Parts: sequence; C-alpha cells; structure tokens
Amino acid sequence: MSCICFYLVLVVGLAAVASNPSPYYAALGLVMVAGVGCGVLVNYGGSFLSLVLFLIYLGGMLVVFAYSAALAAEPYPESWGSGPVMMYMVFYVLGVVMVSGMFWGEWYMVFWVPADEMGEFSMARGDVEGVALMYSFGGGMLLVGGWVLLLTLFVVLELVRGLGRGALRAV
Amino acid sequence: MSPFILSILLLGLGLGTTITFASSHWLLAWMGLENNTLAIIPLMAQHHHPRAAEATTKYFLTQATAAAMLLFATTSNAWLSGQWHILQMNHPLPTTLITLALALKIGLAPMHAWLPEVLQGLNLTTGLILSTWQKLAPFALLLQVQQTNPALTIMLGITSMLIGGWAGLNQTQLRKILAYSSIAHLGWMLIVIQFSPSLALLTLLLYFIMTSSAFLSFKLNNTTNINSLATSWAKMPTLTSLAPLILLSLAGLPPLTGFMPKWLIIQELTKQGLAPTATLAALSALLSLYFYLRLAYAMTLTISPNNLTGTTPWRLPSNQLTLPLAASVTATNFLLPLSPPILSLLTP
Repeated sequence: MSCICFYLVLVVGLAAVASNPSPYYAALGLVMVAGVGCGVLVNYGGSFLSLVLFLIYLGGMLVVFAYSAALAAEPYPESWGSGPVMMYMVFYVLGVVMVSGMFWGEWYMVFWVPADEMGEFSMARGDVEGVALMYSFGGGMLLVGGWVLLLTLFVVLELVRGLGRGALRAV
Repeated sequence: MSPFILSILLLGLGLGTTITFASSHWLLAWMGLENNTLAIIPLMAQHHHPRAAEATTKYFLTQATAAAMLLFATTSNAWLSGQWHILQMNHPLPTTLITLALALKIGLAPMHAWLPEVLQGLNLTTGLILSTWQKLAPFALLLQVQQTNPALTIMLGITSMLIGGWAGLNQTQLRKILAYSSIAHLGWMLIVIQFSPSLALLTLLLYFIMTSSAFLSFKLNNTTNINSLATSWAKMPTLTSLAPLILLSLAGLPPLTGFMPKWLIIQELTKQGLAPTATLAALSALLSLYFYLRLAYAMTLTISPNNLTGTTPWRLPSNQLTLPLAASVTATNFLLPLSPPILSLLTP
C-alpha cells in the first residue's frame, strides 16, 4: 500500500514540477519528488542505494532551492492554484496516465531480479553488492563517469570565466 | 582559451565519439553523446560574443532534449524487452523514439530548426566541427538501430531533402546555406540507411570531405555572406576559380565527387522498387543546386567592379593553413573515378 502512495506522490509531484509554477514552488516539488523516489527504491530493497541517492539529491536540492529562492523571488508567485499552472498539471497527469497504458503489464521480467529476491543465497544485500560490482566489473564505466564529471567542471569554469564578462547571461 | 583547457576539450570530443562508436550498450552510447555535447560547448562560446552565447544556449537545450529523449527511449526499451543492446532493438515504440531523438541530435527535417540558427552564431572552424565531427556519433547509432519499417527513415529523409533545399533558397548568409545543405545531405543518407548502411556511410564521409572544402575555403576568404563573397576574386584567385567546382560537387553534378553518393543512392532506391521516392530525391537535389549555383555565380562567374586598390589583396600572403584545404578540394573534385574501390571498401 505504501508503495502505491509513493508512486502516486512521485507522479503527481513530477507533474507539479513540470507544470511551470514559480521557481521555488517547483523546487519544493522537486524536493518532494526526490524524497519519494528514494522511498520507492527502499520499497524494492535498495536501502543503501536510496540513502546514497537521497544524500546526493539533498546536496543538489540545497543549491537549487537557495538559487531559485534567492534569484527568482517574485512578489506574486504562481502556485498550482492558478489557472494555467493547473491546466498544465491536469494535462500532464492525463498524459502520464495515457502513456502508462502503453507500458501496462508488458514489462519483461526475465532479466530483472528485485534486490531482495536472492536473500537466501547472498551474504550482503543486493544494492551493497551492486556497489562492489560497480568498482570491479563496472570500473571502466566508473572511470568514464568520473572523467565526464571532471570535464563538466572544466566546461562550467570555461563558460563562466571572468574577464569582465561574467556568466553566459551577462554578455 | 588556455591550451590546456583546449586540449582537454578536444580530448573530450574525441573520447565521446569513441565511446559511442565502441559501445554496444545504450547507456554507454548515451554517455558518449553527452560527453560530446559537453565538450563542444565552451568551444562554441569561445569568444563570448552574444550571438555565440545564444547559439551555444540553443545548441545545449536541443542536445539536452535529444539526449533526455534518447535516455527515456532506451529505458523504456529495457523495460519492454529486458536488454540494453543496441543491435537487438525489436519493439517499435523505443525504436521510433530513438530514431527521432537521434534525428533531433543531427538536425533532420522536422527537428532541423535549431541547426541554421546555431551554425549562424559560430565561427567557421567551430561550425565545421559541428557539422562534421558532431554528426558522427549519432549517425553511428542511427546506422545500428534496426527499424521495423523503413517508412520512418524514408519520411525523415524526404522531408530533410525538400526542406534543406527549399529553406536554403531564401538565405544570403553562407553559414545558414551550409546548414541547409547539411540538412539536405543528411536527408540523402537517411533515405538509404535502411537499405544499404554502407552507402549511407559513404555519403556521410563524402559529405564531410565536401563540406570541409566549402567551410575552409570560406574561412580562407574570410566571408560569411554572399555580398562579401563577391570580392573573393581579388583575394584568392585560384581558390575562387576552384570554388564553383566545390559547390557543384556539393550539389552533385556528374564529373565531380558529389555525384557518386547521389548516383549510388538513386540506383539502390530503384533496385528496391522505390522509383517515385528516387524521382522525388533527384528532383529535390535541383532545389539545392539553385543556391549552390547562386553562390558560384556571386563568387566566380561574375567579377564585380571594385576600386583599383581593392583589386590586389591577393598580393598579401595569408598565414592560414592551406594544406588541409588543398587535400579536401582535390578529394572533392576528383574522387568519382574511384567510386568502385570506395564502395567496396565500405561494404562489409
């Protein structure tokens, strides 16, 4: 039951973010969605994974929330009560319902094993073993991922490099 | 830009394309595409000009949308079929979504609108990278996706050819014309991609050679619109006399290299029993021919009057690198007799 609630909040929350309210309401929705998304992961037995994800989300959310609350403060913010935002929200929820009809019941279960399925056969939980796998078999992917993050740092630094020009939008 | 940063970015560009080439897994292919996009962004915004910043933003938004769409399509593929392998796509929904996402990435016709805008904001060298190297990785993925039905790629191809020809007619800016020429050429590749992938690859490689000649010769002439093209006879007489050949090769006229892909594609389409499609393709090439001819006319076929001191800039030596241009112009003009070996080289 709690799983259904999590899913409901996840979908409605995503529609709430996408329906274009004022930035800090959107950030609020994003915080909610992030938390609930981690809850969904816990339901499937990925408790460690969801903890890691939650910490990362929390760090990102702090920045996003501070940024949008500080830079996009409006005297009359639009929340989900106002007309166009509500319209988008209804539209998106309907769209999600319609599209999910296409995927309903069709999922391919042969290769997918929930993390708790093999409980009797393994020493550690599935997601903890996944971390070990990430460092052994997935080492190459990890290396590439780390390199891309480093590259992103250089890209951002190069884009916002000073010389009296400031960031992208200040040119 | 500091040479260290530049080398890191160029390495990132190379690494992204290599990762996408080497992967058989959709997630890794997506990582390569993202890497590619990220690495070119500072190169595009290099001069911090408002136009360049605008073009960079447009490029970033488009590519991010396409990458998100690709990721969504691949995860739904994993959901529906249980695997991430690129060559084993069998469900029509993710296949179509992936094709559309990749079409957005390389700028095919219904999703082409960003390409002329972005290219117009860049300098010619970055524009050359954008219209050659950046197309490689998405195109390699497009080659590997097996469509359930060739109708989608044929539609994308025909729309791209027609729109690439039609919309280019009205332009006076060289970079926009080159962007529309790129759209039209990608249409030629897409139309044949399901029937003969090696032919699509051949078209891509020859398009790279031809468009490099065009970009590099415009760069050497330092021109970005038709007006300034008119004085190029005084700047670079030899290159100016070769330029119509480059442009007509892009248009695909017979004794030049550009005829080879069009010839082979129309032959392949006729063999597949698609004579009306082949006819439409051949006719749409006429639209492109018109604007290439107009460029050639403004550049070489008329010598526009100039004051006496303006007629001798050719005496000033240029310090730009001309060897790549010489090689690509040679290849642009004289590769047609080599079509059988090139074709057999690319046929698996």
